[in-house]
Amino acid sequence: MKQLRIVMVGDVDAGKSTILGRLLVDIGQVTPERLAELESSSAKRGVPIEYSFLLDAFQVERDQAITLDISRVWVRTPDAEFVFVDAPGHRELIRNLLSGASEVDAPVMVVAADEGITQQTRRQALFLQWFGFREILVAINKLDLAADPRTAFEQRTAEVRAFLAQLGIVPLAIVPVAARGGDNVVDRGALTAWWDGPTLLQALGGISRREARADGPLRFVVQDVYRRDGGRVIVGRVESGTLERGEPLVFWPLQTGARVTRIVDWPGEIARVPAGRAAAIELDARVFVDRGAVASRASDAPELGHVLRARIVWLGAEPVRVGETLRLRLGTREIPVTLQRIDEIVDPDTLEPREGERIASGDVAVVTLVARETIAADVAVEGSSLARFVLARGGAIVAGGMVEAVVGLARGEGATNVVAMTSSVDADERARRNGHGGGVFWLTGLPSAGKSTVAMAVQRMLFERGRHVYVLDGDTLRTTLNVDLGFNDEDRAENVRRTAAVAGTFADAGMIVLCALISPFADDRALARAAYPRSFFEIHVACDLATAERRDVKGHYERARRGELQRFTGVSSPYEVPEAPDLRIDTAASGVDECASRLLEFIEAKVVLAPTVAR
Amino acid sequence: MPSSPDEYLDELEARTIFILREAFSCVTPLAMLWSIGKDSTALLWMVRKAFLGEVPFPVVLLDTGMEFQEVYAFRDMLVQAWQLPVANELCPPESSVDQTLPTAARHAARKTAGLRALIEREGYRGIILGIRRDEQAIRAKERIFSPRNADGSWDPRSQPPELWDYFPYEVPDGAHVRIHPLLHWTELDIWRYTLREGIPYVPLYLAREGKRYRSLGESNITFPIASQADTVEKIVAELEVTREPERAGRAMDRETEDAFERLRTSGYM
Repeated sequence: MKQLRIVMVGDVDAGKSTILGRLLVDIGQVTPERLAELESSSAKRGVPIEYSFLLDAFQVERDQAITLDISRVWVRTPDAEFVFVDAPGHRELIRNLLSGASEVDAPVMVVAADEGITQQTRRQALFLQWFGFREILVAINKLDLAADPRTAFEQRTAEVRAFLAQLGIVPLAIVPVAARGGDNVVDRGALTAWWDGPTLLQALGGISRREARADGPLRFVVQDVYRRDGGRVIVGRVESGTLERGEPLVFWPLQTGARVTRIVDWPGEIARVPAGRAAAIELDARVFVDRGAVASRASDAPELGHVLRARIVWLGAEPVRVGETLRLRLGTREIPVTLQRIDEIVDPDTLEPREGERIASGDVAVVTLVARETIAADVAVEGSSLARFVLARGGAIVAGGMVEAVVGLARGEGATNVVAMTSSVDADERARRNGHGGGVFWLTGLPSAGKSTVAMAVQRMLFERGRHVYVLDGDTLRTTLNVDLGFNDEDRAENVRRTAAVAGTFADAGMIVLCALISPFADDRALARAAYPRSFFEIHVACDLATAERRDVKGHYERARRGELQRFTGVSSPYEVPEAPDLRIDTAASGVDECASRLLEFIEAKVVLAPTVAR
Repeated sequence: MPSSPDEYLDELEARTIFILREAFSCVTPLAMLWSIGKDSTALLWMVRKAFLGEVPFPVVLLDTGMEFQEVYAFRDMLVQAWQLPVANELCPPESSVDQTLPTAARHAARKTAGLRALIEREGYRGIILGIRRDEQAIRAKERIFSPRNADGSWDPRSQPPELWDYFPYEVPDGAHVRIHPLLHWTELDIWRYTLREGIPYVPLYLAREGKRYRSLGESNITFPIASQADTVEKIVAELEVTREPERAGRAMDRETEDAFERLRTSGYM
């Protein structure tokens, strides 16, 4: 007995629901009472017996004779148990089609003989290709409407084959049906008497299951860490490969290593967990592991980097444009990413790539995404859950994506012939000794916004709490390290780069570093982040210009107004307000103490090692 | 293809455990509804597996006072045996619900009102429920994580996308998300699993004198079916060939054509 999950796709009128209704009836799964009910439902709406009513459950679906959301129908034959997912054909309900397709083994595409491949069908086929389906079953329906069913079928078959070949999809089989009369659905029929290939049901039986890849590289995705009997149990799912007791694992992206000492299978324990199953493990070392991590063997690690190239399907009602920051969810990890570039948008009609400024709902596009943290992903590994992701905007899922490439900043840019030394003490070890990790907290804002004041106050508070902390002040550094730099745009960028490099080094040494720098340009601040991406936070010290100018701690505003200072930020040089800082504190609205407390709380939450989540 | 039915059950179980752990990690506070029927009892079994023997959230019975005596007795037995953190939520009286609903549906409306009151009082942002897609055509359209409006209502016409196992778990203030970890199971799967794992069940499911309950609701609106299945093995065998829908004995589903749709959109389980 095999269990198969099938999604039905096709244009809105191609007769998907009718095929399924007919399948249910002809297989003998519908009781005489239910058939009678169906007749009365159909009669009430003045239509001949409408098999799709067996599936369409909403009142409005029956009234309008369309499928709104996904329907599912269970069909049991002596050889197989099927779940059919009937997805709507309308363009605006594409999210339902994708939701349906993401959980199935194979699609069945229904093409009406009288209509052929419509624009809707093209678009759906594009999604199927995007999903990675390389085999699909095709039913040419409504042959009862053709003058010569055989010729009509042969014509459509040639069309479908040519179209799918463009997408690299091979039809598993193309079968003729006339669902209304039941020809060649379960039983052979008069209309298809010339056909010596399989019935639709026979062809369905030839589909194979898509399964978690037991032969793939080990990927154990961490969902949570539970505290049990004084120890820690790491729970998650083995997405591919096999997890074995005694095996050394590496957890990404922090790259911490430990050996599996025990695999809990409540109430007992087991020695191995195959792909696709839940796992709960204990380790031989107290390494820092939490939700979002993924474990592999050292020999076949996932790709690491900050830049993802991916093929996405956009589902959000509002289009997305370059520069927008979204949340990337990959495995159980969730991090912000910025849409850096739209490489191409696929035209559903011609299947040709075109350029575009925005990606609208239903578009398939190739994009470049840049993350602030290291991403661990798989590239085009079939079935790997680390090769596919979603993007969220304000909590709502707005896109699905397939990873095509992962690029590391280190590999892509900078000196290529210099190999950085690997430290004999890693950041996690330092963090464990210190009780907190290192991090760069980059305070940006107008002159006299209060950056240094807040930084100094927070430094004191952190120091009192026993934290290792240091303030890098922009003005101070300009008297030492950056003494050779002026205030033109190039020098400002270099000022930021050097300061960030120093801050990153301090953070790597385990320090909490507070940088107080005007850093007026978003591009420079993005560059600063790249110097220590694993723990960098942009803090906007906000203050309206009038208030800052009134404070004018150093008398610079006054001099700038008199024209004595050139390129003074806020007066004669722009300040680009951060669009999505990690934290914004407003010194015009709240006092120093309140701002400092908020920043303190933020820093503590980011770097202090929580006693591992006790549940 | 799984080489044995056991592997298929393992697969179903693994997905349920994954969903439960996602819910627990991402949605707080959380509660589970336990109707004491076969589905939510099997789900409780898997909750214990997912959380290594513990049940880390309250397990709530929406009590209309109209359940079968056998159901109450089974509840008390299992609460003891499994040490469940159980809470009994008394539902408001029938006179307080929409009187335009058909008679049996009013009982369901009482549960809906009871659930709403519970969520309001306790501020739950996630409610775990043991419903399955194959139970009923409207439930077949459900998502695994199903967001609800502040009044508990469901808008099935604008459901969020659910790609692979990425669930939308962010909940606006006042609203909540229904979590359905059993959605992908069928009635037959549940009985095969109950049999394999030796999970306890209310004895009313077994045939006595040629009749058994296939689905358990309030005692005055639920009726037994003709059956000779007096063991779980026989229930499995019966379900492998039956054509009758599972909820045929549940009056509330069938009073009017759209009865269940109305119940569900207003917030019923």
